[in-house]
Formats: sequence, structure tokens, C-alpha cells
Amino acid sequence: MRDASSMDALKAAGASDQATELADFASESIIGFDLSGRIKYWNTASEKLYGWPSEAMIGLGGERIAVDPAIHNDQWPVILQEGRWEGRVSRHTMSGGRVTTYARRVVRCDTMGAPVDVVEYGQNLKVNPEVWSSGSDSLHLTAAFWELDVSDARDYLAKDAASRVSELKGECVLTSAQADAILSRIRVLKVNERTAYVFGAYADQSRMIGENLGAFCPPRSRMELADLMLTALRSPLGAKPVSKALASDGILRDPILTAWRSDDRAIPDRAFLVVNGAADDDRSFWYLRASEERYRKLLHFLPTALILVDASHMAAVFHRLRDAGVRDLNAYLEQNPQIVELAKSTVRVTEANRQAVALLGGATPADLIGPIDFLYAASPETAVRVMNARFSGERSFSEIIPIYTLDGSVKEVQYSVAFTAPLEPFEHDLVSMEDVTDRLKAERQLRKIEADFSHAARISTLGEMATSIAHEVNQPLSAIVTSGETTLHLLKSAQPNLEKVNQLTGRIVSSARHASEIVQRIREMALKRAPEHVSLHINEIVDEALLFVRGDVEARSIQLIKNLEEGLPCVVGDRIQLQQVIVNLLMNSIQAIAHSGTEQRKIRLGTGLSAGGRVIVSLHDSGPGISPKDIERIFDSFYTTKETGLGIGLGICQSIVTAHGGEIVALNHQEGGAHFSVSLPVAARDSDTGPY
Amino acid sequence: MFDRPVIAIIDDDEAVREAFFDLLQVNGHACRTFDGAESFLACYGPGEFGCVITDMRMPGISGLELLEHIKAIDTSLPVIVVTSHGDPSVRLRALKCGAQAFLTKPVGQHALLGELKAALRGSGNPES
Repeated sequence: MRDASSMDALKAAGASDQATELADFASESIIGFDLSGRIKYWNTASEKLYGWPSEAMIGLGGERIAVDPAIHNDQWPVILQEGRWEGRVSRHTMSGGRVTTYARRVVRCDTMGAPVDVVEYGQNLKVNPEVWSSGSDSLHLTAAFWELDVSDARDYLAKDAASRVSELKGECVLTSAQADAILSRIRVLKVNERTAYVFGAYADQSRMIGENLGAFCPPRSRMELADLMLTALRSPLGAKPVSKALASDGILRDPILTAWRSDDRAIPDRAFLVVNGAADDDRSFWYLRASEERYRKLLHFLPTALILVDASHMAAVFHRLRDAGVRDLNAYLEQNPQIVELAKSTVRVTEANRQAVALLGGATPADLIGPIDFLYAASPETAVRVMNARFSGERSFSEIIPIYTLDGSVKEVQYSVAFTAPLEPFEHDLVSMEDVTDRLKAERQLRKIEADFSHAARISTLGEMATSIAHEVNQPLSAIVTSGETTLHLLKSAQPNLEKVNQLTGRIVSSARHASEIVQRIREMALKRAPEHVSLHINEIVDEALLFVRGDVEARSIQLIKNLEEGLPCVVGDRIQLQQVIVNLLMNSIQAIAHSGTEQRKIRLGTGLSAGGRVIVSLHDSGPGISPKDIERIFDSFYTTKETGLGIGLGICQSIVTAHGGEIVALNHQEGGAHFSVSLPVAARDSDTGPY
Repeated sequence: MFDRPVIAIIDDDEAVREAFFDLLQVNGHACRTFDGAESFLACYGPGEFGCVITDMRMPGISGLELLEHIKAIDTSLPVIVVTSHGDPSVRLRALKCGAQAFLTKPVGQHALLGELKAALRGSGNPES
């Protein structure tokens, strides 16, 4: 009964002989079309249904037997774009009558994903009227189908009737909380592929089952959907479906929502929801599906923790605030802190990749899906800053914040948000999270080691400078002893010169103060404490540093030529550490000169401002200079050309200067000798709170 | 000539300088203070000073260099060296160069006045 041409046609379309035979025995009408809409296969059931024999139909365009060829021709591109179509089809029968079937059309693809043909499965609506009980012609478009368990929602509406029903009376009086309550109590039992594709936020069908309907509803459609479901739930069994047209939401073009309760008395808590609408996108379904599949894989397997966040509700709120004339969101939020809370509960995580689940201590992505507030629990101010960044139109936001993970620990996370631009169709923000807990810990440890190291170096340097320091302390002590003895001598006379005694005692006091200050400076240098960041005048630092080495300079008959520029801007840093840098550089020069035994014994020490606006300390000595083989390694720790000494002095200088955002350079001066130059960034104007 | 000999006090530290000045003055000596070897040498003339008390460590010309210089131009002018650290090698070098005395700070008044007395007595009778 099968002719060769129809078999060939199906074979050409990729079907096996066996499959063709199976289709022949099917009770459903099965029709194969090529992509242009020509009939290539017509099974036995089709012959029975329409009366037309297979031989008459092969090669004909599908519109030839359509009651309204225009509808057929309009539908065809939609089928090719969407990949799937379901709806009613009316065709002429051979006997001159009409048959209306409920038809499902599927585009079949080859292994490469390219469309090959279209297969239609049709059932006579007269025989199976329950297949599609809705009379709406709008349902011709591909529909996203939901089967829902509404028992909890019905309980919710039935209980607390006194308060709730009165509130819900009339039209559109649902509060946002009630809408959420209803939607969250409706459980998904079954969805079709279309539903998963449109609403699943990259979840597949099975992942949607058991979730509540509210989890998949875009915030802007929430109230409408809740209202529709409420109407359907309160309608009697067997009532007509209720429909509602919504505005395009960026996912579907002019979607129509239809809901009805099952009319089967055995399952009164069953409801159905159908969402019709073509994808609001110019790309074809196939392209879209492939690109989303790629995107999904990319998202899931990227080694960075990523979450997708639906902030469309807040985008709408911000839009209204802007329209209402709010310009300074920060000030507005201070007066209306409930907006921050609203954002934390309405902005939702809709998808999370594997790394994000791992970072946040969850077991599955579902653990993270929901309101975003848990991410801001340890750093509530961050939510406000994110909102401000979004409101002011920035495209991204990033800072390091602590996050409480689901397994109860705290992690330091580099938290970055990429905002969707206003009016972009896909209003999901992408949040990336990088666990920097260990990095910050290592950095803190490194800073501590550096501080310990520079302290150890200071102690070592103080030892080297003991003679010089002794000289500094001895000078005022010497003056005190001599003046004291003179005073005693005066007091022994019969008529003491009290005026002179007074003057000498004054000198004793001032010298003692001076000695005490010197001891204090040495103590600071020897003390171990965390580095500070304060505004400092570099010339003061230089003068204080000289205190430690002046004795050495003089003992070695070195001429120190100071040239400190007045009125330099402040630098920010630690007083003692910067002193240490200058002391170390001076000690280095003093030792270089002492070892060389040169005639010229000079150190030129100057401060100034570089062309780039940095504060410069420069030191040029008359020593032998730096040999070419040393110049590369001169700042390496433990590198020394001296017989004594640890070789940490210049290394410490470099690490301190670098930590201050500066730079240290060693050169040989053109007039001979080594030339060290330290450049430091100047303090920002508002932190310019130096002692002057 | 019955003028009291003038004592030159050289130290870069003002407090020390003034303390020595007061000590010598209340003990009946005539003194002049200098903040360094350079300013002293600018005022120096033969017979101008009876004794020099100088610090060792000073910027520019050090105490030791000044001592050598004085001994080269005026062997009869006694020099007392005062220093804040009594490094034996420096002490030896100073004494070899002809220093009258080598005192370590803080200097006791008896030591300083005693050495000064000896120096002035000696300088009054050169080559005796």
C-alpha cells in the first residue's frame, strides 16, 4: 500500500524504513513536509482522516488543502523559526467537507542541528475534544505550557478568609506580598520544553518541577499573573479559561496568559497555565538555543564564581524614582531605608554556576536561587553602594567584601557586578566573585614580615650607629654636668650671683630636655610597631635622620652639604620608616667614603620636586661609586660588598619606598660617586594635615 | 703686660660651649667661644690666646686637624682636647700630636680647671 515515492521521500528526510512503517500504523495523522511546506509523506491515518490518498498528496503544498491558505502561509515561517508549533488546523476533505485537527508540528534536525523537515501529528478534535478545550484562536502560537498543583494556594485563600478575602474583593487589590504568597504556593508539576526555554532561566524541565511558580515569574508580570491565577482558582470547576494579554516583556512579544482549573473532579487542585507569544527576538529559535546552550555551558564551567541576578524590579523602581525627581539616591536611601530592604528581597539570584555554588558553600545551584540578601548579610553597606552605582548609570561595581557562606564560614570576596544597560532586553546582572581570603591573609602576613624585617634592620643599624648616638646623647649631658658644677661653685660663695645661677639652671633644664628628646627618637627607632600612614614633611624627616648619623659624618671628617627645598608638598607614610631609608642611605655613603679613603669627603643631601610632581630626596656621595656588577643587585637583600654588614640596608630602603608607592634609583653620578634618588608621591590635598 | 690670657673654647654644640664658658668665667678666666675651627682660625693671631679647649667631632675641620694645624704654626699654644668618646687610638694620636690633655665628656670641673692651670703655667714658661 506504500508507494515507492513516499518511502523515498521519508528516507531522504532521514527516516528509516522501520520508522516509516511504524508511522503507517499510527492512529494519529502524520504528515511530513519539506522545509518549503511541500508534503513529502502522508500516513494511513491521514488518508482516513482527510480522505485524500497518499499518492494524491505527495508533492503538493500544504496550503492547497487548507481551508484558509493565508493562515497556513503565515504559520509556516513561525514554525521554522520556533522549531515547534501546536494548534488547530482546518483542512478540506476529499469529500468536500472540513476537518479540524489539533496538530503538533515539529522541525526535525540532522546531527549538525540543521533543520531537515517538518513533521505534523494531528488528532481530530471531534474525536478527541479534550485535547484542546479552549476555544481561543490565539492559541495557535507556540505555547509554554504549565501543569500546576494549586492545593496550597487554595488553602491559603480559604484560610484566614476574614482578613484576606475582604482585601482581595474587587479588582486588582492584591498586595505585592499577597501576590508573592499566592505564586509561591503554586507548585509546578509539568512543563513543556518551550516553558523551560522561555522561563527556566537555564534550568531544564526536570529542574523546574517541584519549584513554585513564583520562582520563574519575571517581577514585572508578577501582579498580573497572581491576579490571573486568583481568578482561575476562584472559578468553579469546568469554568471557561481566563486569559490576559500582557505588554511585551522582552522575553515574549505581546504574550497572552491563559489559565484554567482542571474540570476533572478527581483532581480539583490541578490547574493549567499557557503562555502564548513569539520570542521577542529576531534570531531564530535554533540560533538562540545553540547560543544559549553555549552560554550556559560557558557560564557553568568558567573557573570564576558567577551568578545571574534579576534586578528588573529595582530597575523599574529606580525609573520611578528618577521620574519623581530623585537625583541623590544616597540621601534618598538614608531617609527611606525600606527601599534597601525592598531591593534585597526583590533582587533575586536566578542562576549560579558551579564555582559560585562551591564558593558560597552550597550543594546545588538551587541553594543560591532566591533573594540576594544573604550575600550582603556581612556587609549591608555594600548593597547601598551597589544601588548607588546602578542608579548613577555606572556599568560595573567592584569591591572586596566579607560574605557569610551557607556552610557558616566568612570569606573575603572580590565582589564585582556588571550591570545591564537600561533597555537591554535581558535584564540580568552578572556578578562575579573571587575568593581573596587567602590572598588577603598572605598579604597581611607579608606586611607583618616586612614590618618585622625593617624593625630588625633598624635595631641592627642602631647598633652600627651606637658611637654616633652616644655622641648625640653625651653632648647635652656634658653641658648639664658642666653647668651644674658651675652652679654649685657659684652657690658656695658668700653672696651668690643668683642671676647667673638662674641662667645656668635654665640651661641645665633645656639641655636635659634636649637629651630626653634624643632618647625618645632612639626609642622610636628601636620600637616595634605597625607602620602608620600620616602626612609628613620630608625636610623634617631628613633632619631627624641626620641626628643618628651626624656623629659618624663628623668623626670621619665628611662634609655634609644639605640643600633642602622649602615649601615642598607633604608625603604620606610612616615617619620612622622614611627616617630609616635616609639613615640607611647616609650610612651606606659614609661607609663607602670611609672605605675608599678618597681625598674628597663629601655627601650632598637634597630634597626637591620632580618634573612629575613627586617629592625627591637625592643623595650624592664622593665615594668610589657602584661597580657595574653590583648595580643590578644593589637593592637585593643580603647582597653586600662589605666585609661586615648583613646587606639588608638598601634592600630595606627599596621595600619601604615601594610600600610608600615610591621608587628608589641607584646610579653613578657623572662627577663620580654614587647617586641615590628616592621619589615619593605627594599627599592628596585633603589629607594634607601635616604639622605645619 | 699683665693681661689675663684668653682661653678659646671651640665646640659646635652651643650648650656645651656656653657651659664651658660659664665655668671658666666664674673661675676667673677670660674666654671666647667659637662654633668651629674655621671661625677660631679666622681670629687667631700669635699671642692672642693662652690656651685652646676644643671638641673633637665637629663639622668641617675636626679637633684633631685643628690640633695638628696649631702645633705646626704655634708650638707654644697649649691645646686641651675634649671628646665625647674616649677611643684609645684617637687619644694616642692626639697626645702624640702634642695635646696638653685629652678629656672625655662629661668633663669634671676639677679635671678641666686643673689641666687648664697646668697648661697656662707651662705656656708662660716655654722651653724652661
